[in-house]
Amino acid sequence: MPTELVLISTLFTGLMLGVIFSLVAAGVTIIYGSIWMPNAANGQFFLLAALALWSAAVSWGLHPVVAALLVIGASVPASLLLEQMLIRRFYDVPNRNVSYFVLSLGITQILAGLFSVTYGVWSDQFQIPPLMAGITFLGPFPVSNSRLAALVTGVALLAALFALLRYHKYGRAIRAVFQNRDAASLRGVNVRAIYRLSFVLGNLVVAAGGVLYAFAYSFDLSVSWSMSITAFAIMIIGGPGSVVGAVAVGMVFGFTQAIVSAFASPTVATFSYLGAMLLILLMKPSGLFAR
Amino acid sequence: MNRTIVAAGLGLALVTPQTAAAADQESVKVGFVTELTGPWSFFGTACVAGLKFAEATLNPPGKRKIEFIQIDNQTQPTQAVAAARNLDIQSKVIALSGPTSSDTALAIYGYAEQNKVPFLVPVAAFPQLTKPGTRYSFRIEPNAAGWGYAIAEFVAKQKPGAKIALMHSDFALMRAISAGLKYQAAKKGLKIEPEIVFPQGSNDATVQAAQVLAANPDYVVVVGAGGFDNTITNQLLDVGIKPEKIIHPYGMATQVKGWGKRSVGSLYGTFFDANLDTVTAEGRKFIDDFKAQNKRLPSYVENYCYVTSQIIREVIDADPKAGDDREVFRNTLSALKSKEVTSGIPIEFDKNGARKEYIYFMQIQDVGEVEYKSKPVFTTNWDPEIIPVYDLVK
Repeated sequence: MPTELVLISTLFTGLMLGVIFSLVAAGVTIIYGSIWMPNAANGQFFLLAALALWSAAVSWGLHPVVAALLVIGASVPASLLLEQMLIRRFYDVPNRNVSYFVLSLGITQILAGLFSVTYGVWSDQFQIPPLMAGITFLGPFPVSNSRLAALVTGVALLAALFALLRYHKYGRAIRAVFQNRDAASLRGVNVRAIYRLSFVLGNLVVAAGGVLYAFAYSFDLSVSWSMSITAFAIMIIGGPGSVVGAVAVGMVFGFTQAIVSAFASPTVATFSYLGAMLLILLMKPSGLFAR
Repeated sequence: MNRTIVAAGLGLALVTPQTAAAADQESVKVGFVTELTGPWSFFGTACVAGLKFAEATLNPPGKRKIEFIQIDNQTQPTQAVAAARNLDIQSKVIALSGPTSSDTALAIYGYAEQNKVPFLVPVAAFPQLTKPGTRYSFRIEPNAAGWGYAIAEFVAKQKPGAKIALMHSDFALMRAISAGLKYQAAKKGLKIEPEIVFPQGSNDATVQAAQVLAANPDYVVVVGAGGFDNTITNQLLDVGIKPEKIIHPYGMATQVKGWGKRSVGSLYGTFFDANLDTVTAEGRKFIDDFKAQNKRLPSYVENYCYVTSQIIREVIDADPKAGDDREVFRNTLSALKSKEVTSGIPIEFDKNGARKEYIYFMQIQDVGEVEYKSKPVFTTNWDPEIIPVYDLVK
């Protein structure tokens, strides 16, 4: 029974972390693949969603589901505003990925400072009321229904994202821009509109990741940095601009962290996947799923 | 009769100008470098909240004014040293105080010892802050290795030969607690298994909670950092570890609230708690006023920062020169024999600046929105060097 317990908990943890990593990395890679923005602020956006959820659910007393929908929904106008004020100004700048990287570092610092002076006081108290009460036994392993609901929702969101990118005309247009923006333009795709859509969609997916994470775990302000590094590592290994790569490598990262954590130590787990990243990049510098 | 009046008149004549002179003197500046932002800000802001209450009564008429200059160290040792240097050179403070993190306190410790600035640490527990040879640093909070020692004493009393699972984050504070626990557990015939160390920034303990459940320990000692403490606790409870088995080495009011109603029955260590009968009348007033303003109870962090200002007041009152001369301040502080106004616990420093140490272990009875109920189940005190604290943790 103990072995089975540890095994199932490892699998569950791998899946839970994998889904959240995948969502955030998919968001990052959608933005990079489309507008070439290596968004270093993704961790802060992720944290912003989690903090906003905490405020809405705990301080304002909204039902957690309503709060979650509100936060994820609010990411759309917030992203549109940011796109209009800052992001679009660089669309035609040569080597804009460098400009974007510097810009996103600036956003990171500003948000980190803001969170620190506003939310820092409560940094040991970020817990969201459960989505659902009770527990479910997966074999001998008891899982809170709230975490289970977060996992199922995360899987559903990833499936929806795939469906959107594969079957919807806007999704196909995004993929076309990923592959060749000039050819896409010639085929009638409004590239600048797709840039905008990608930025909004990418941030929406990152926000969803932050919300699900907050339902699954207590968190503090430091989560933004670890998530930012993880999402970047996943994007680079998966191949920048590859959503399939982001999801596949995100799941691998989640399971790697869970397995190494269980059978070596949590300390080894934190750098094991970064070590794996270096090895993979040595063998395939363009990433596993690069186009 | 006439003699009495004359003597009283002379006495008044002698005292009044002095007190008036004291009040007229330039205020005594104390640098308060603490964690107002950054990962440890929940401690720093709690500390400042306690200090704020003390400041209201810190400067009664006729006494030399004491002024705290607060600076945020952002929970960064480099910032802490920069702030200490600035306060020393620019503001010419008489003493430094404020840190609630062992990492920032250690950084200021080096500066204070090297530059001979008295340094009164309110809430930082890493043993090396009062290592042998320390001259200018004084610590109010018991050292963390001692907390570990006390946990082993408590568990050995509850269940001789017990097995303890130890889960801790990899911060200086937690390493020190674990070192003390492991040292004393071996001496008491307790078994530590498993010991799980989480690196800084950890976010998940699901697998480790299952491993602990599988190991079936008698107690689980949980020392997580910040929000991760809640994660570990919740995940242990999720997998079915009974709250009565969970021991937190320290518990602030915000932590107890974070552990929630599910944690009723679990245990935590503290040095000051609203549920203690030993709280003095002033301590009770502090608790009531704090609760009214902050909608929560104060705990040991707020208390130690409240007491910090009391100690500085007593030093300045004991020797008026202490307000102008750092060496006098240091010597007066070193010789101080007093009691915490809030709890009656003695304040007396040994040759290294450490106090006679103590801890209460409380068991949670109920957790509400503003208050929580807990009862003391074990109290102990010890000499700071009852175990080789300065060798255990470097």
